[in-house]
Amino acid sequence: MELERRSQWLRGVLDLCVLGLLAQRESYGYELIQSLSAAGLGTIQGGTLYPVLLRLQRSGQVAAYWREGAAGPARKYYRITPEGGQTLRRAAADWQSFAGGVDVILREVAAR
Amino acid sequence: MRDDAWLEALAGELRRQGVPHDTARHVLAETAAHLWDSGDEPLRAFGPAQSYAAAVAESVRPAPARAVPGGPVRLEVVGVSKRYGRRTVLREVSLTVRAGQVAAVVGANGSGKSTFLGVCAGLVSPDRGEVRVHGTLGYCPQGGGTSDFLVPDEHFALVGAGRGMSRQDARERGRGAAAALDWDPRGAGQARHLSGGTRQKLNLVMAGLGDPDVLLLDEPYQGFDRGSYLDFWQQVHRWRDAGKAVVVVTHLLDARDGVDTVLDLTRREATR
Repeated sequence: MELERRSQWLRGVLDLCVLGLLAQRESYGYELIQSLSAAGLGTIQGGTLYPVLLRLQRSGQVAAYWREGAAGPARKYYRITPEGGQTLRRAAADWQSFAGGVDVILREVAAR
Repeated sequence: MRDDAWLEALAGELRRQGVPHDTARHVLAETAAHLWDSGDEPLRAFGPAQSYAAAVAESVRPAPARAVPGGPVRLEVVGVSKRYGRRTVLREVSLTVRAGQVAAVVGANGSGKSTFLGVCAGLVSPDRGEVRVHGTLGYCPQGGGTSDFLVPDEHFALVGAGRGMSRQDARERGRGAAAALDWDPRGAGQARHLSGGTRQKLNLVMAGLGDPDVLLLDEPYQGFDRGSYLDFWQQVHRWRDAGKAVVVVTHLLDARDGVDTVLDLTRREATR
């Protein structure tokens, strides 16, 4: 139940989290998964993340290129585009006000 | 080893889902890189190849820009009736299909679906009513239609000749269309040795040879497995997107098949 709720929350914001991480620096899928996990969002599977990246790429929010690694196969790196940056700024403001509203209501409960 | 088998299955499913070749290549390389970096089991990280391919296809599909197009009318059927003896098979049936549209003809067994398509193709003459076809016509029968002692290439050449194509051109286009149905007809042998499903693929390829404007398909997927069935609908959508008018007789219609018009021939309500 709790897990399911968390994954529902995540579904709503995963693309924004990915954009947010890419706004810090360009990255590739596996590294993004590690960063999301380090941020406390739990383990996101490749089958969940890559379709999100494809959608972001299709809509022009991120750009991608291939880079050879020191070892192993080439990796597909993603970089946020100006358009993606705009989306991110708008959505970040929206999120602040939305999460703030939830927080006001739930804080009461936690304090009781 | 297991990764390879899974990746190979993914490659097949991506093709099946109609993911463009280049995109599929990138997805496969990225997936392989992820498996290499993470050491994950593919099934655990990505789920079954089939569902992951479906998710990818969904993500790369162009935005739904396809408004029902008002292309020119290609097929007009007006008030067609047909009886065999005392039995009325079709009663006042009308249908209009435009370029870039798919029409499905549905109805119970014996409701006259094949008769209707035969009337459209000019193979069956109606007792009343009129059929107007604006353009060239390709027809795929429910069965038969192939020549037992000819190999697929000879079928292509024969049909191509009737549509003004050179032997070589017909053969190449035939093979290309066959590949889209996941079938390699080279060295396939005479048609009498082909399975029912493969013979239907041959029929389907022949219907599309020479780029006809109107395609009439009579339950062409008999004997197809699930994958071939999906390939078939992909082909229908390619024809539609290329501006063909497509009529498919079917008894199983899935909401996802994306047809523009449904003509239900079930008794009495046999119009529109």
